[in-house]
Amino acid sequence: MAEVRIVAEPRTQFGKGHARRVRMAHKVPAVLYGHGDEPRHFSLPGHDLMMALRHDANALLTLETADGDQLALAKSVVRDPLKGHLEHVDLVAVRKGEKVTVEVAIHLTGAGGPDTLVDQQTMTLTIEADATALPDHVEVSIQGLQPGQKITAGQVTLPSGTTLAQDADHVIVQGLGVQTEEQLEAELAAAEEELGSGQAGAEAHEAEAAAAAGEEPEGESEGDAAGDDDAPKSETSTEE
Amino acid sequence: MLIPRRVKHRKQHHPDRSGAAKGGTALAFGEYGIQALEPAYVTNRQIESARIAMTRHIRRGGKVWINIYPDRPLTKKPAETRMGSGKGSPEWWVANVKPGRILFELSGPPEPLAKEAMRRAMHKLPMKCRFIVREVGD
Repeated sequence: MAEVRIVAEPRTQFGKGHARRVRMAHKVPAVLYGHGDEPRHFSLPGHDLMMALRHDANALLTLETADGDQLALAKSVVRDPLKGHLEHVDLVAVRKGEKVTVEVAIHLTGAGGPDTLVDQQTMTLTIEADATALPDHVEVSIQGLQPGQKITAGQVTLPSGTTLAQDADHVIVQGLGVQTEEQLEAELAAAEEELGSGQAGAEAHEAEAAAAAGEEPEGESEGDAAGDDDAPKSETSTEE
Repeated sequence: MLIPRRVKHRKQHHPDRSGAAKGGTALAFGEYGIQALEPAYVTNRQIESARIAMTRHIRRGGKVWINIYPDRPLTKKPAETRMGSGKGSPEWWVANVKPGRILFELSGPPEPLAKEAMRRAMHKLPMKCRFIVREVGD
């Protein structure tokens, strides 16, 4: 597991204006809490933090604060959905030897059986482990998985020193049967027919819609609320 | 095609197109996804067309999720009619998509196949999109 040292500057000003100024300086506003202490606010170097959390969401951070070093784990990370940069981080304080509950990524290994579609239902597994020895992922073998078979959280082999902290019956991955070529073709053909495949289909659809516009303006609103008002139904008639 | 079974009001105001997506910005089900980079009204026909394009390319080797739903009606007045006489009739069903929103998700196929399938699907959509892959921290 990665352990990263990060210089943490205390934050004394708050609010969105200050947070934006912090981000403009390529830093990330963060809050540290845990162990019943008062929350502490910091500004962390953006690039270092991004590199630390890039490949391991449970990286152990050593914050170099004015009061000394403090171990912390990222509890919640807010990212910009488009640019991907970090906007805010919640950190939880931990101590050496302390047991913590974290979510670790699940990596599937092997390949499912023939004609089996592997459906991963859960991407992370909640485990309890020593704060300084957290695994960065858990491997689940799907070798030879058949349709109808499933692997639950209780069946996953966990690394030593870790225990499961979630429902053991929770399905992690299951095998699904795949459609036959004929079924797929029939389904796609039906969908394309409904859509009016190609330009000709689209034009035909428009022509149908235009022809129907005289009496019934919308063919697709048959499911609309039946008791709806809409008294001016005659809006399609030409007025003078 | 996706159409609401029943609605409370047949005719609505135009959906607000400003701002960014507040939710649905991360992959929830699959390994790969299409993320919107611009705001747009995506019609049910465009959604279906993109789904067909994607499914045609991956064939039987994957599972597709559609994360948006066209639940907003847009109206149109008939051609060559004078103004007035009330609002036009419902013409399209659209999903109001804002930047950052995940539109489709896919799991099963290897990344190059998924990327090509989603590239074909993106050509059916009315805005700029990008292909995204689930990362370790997601």
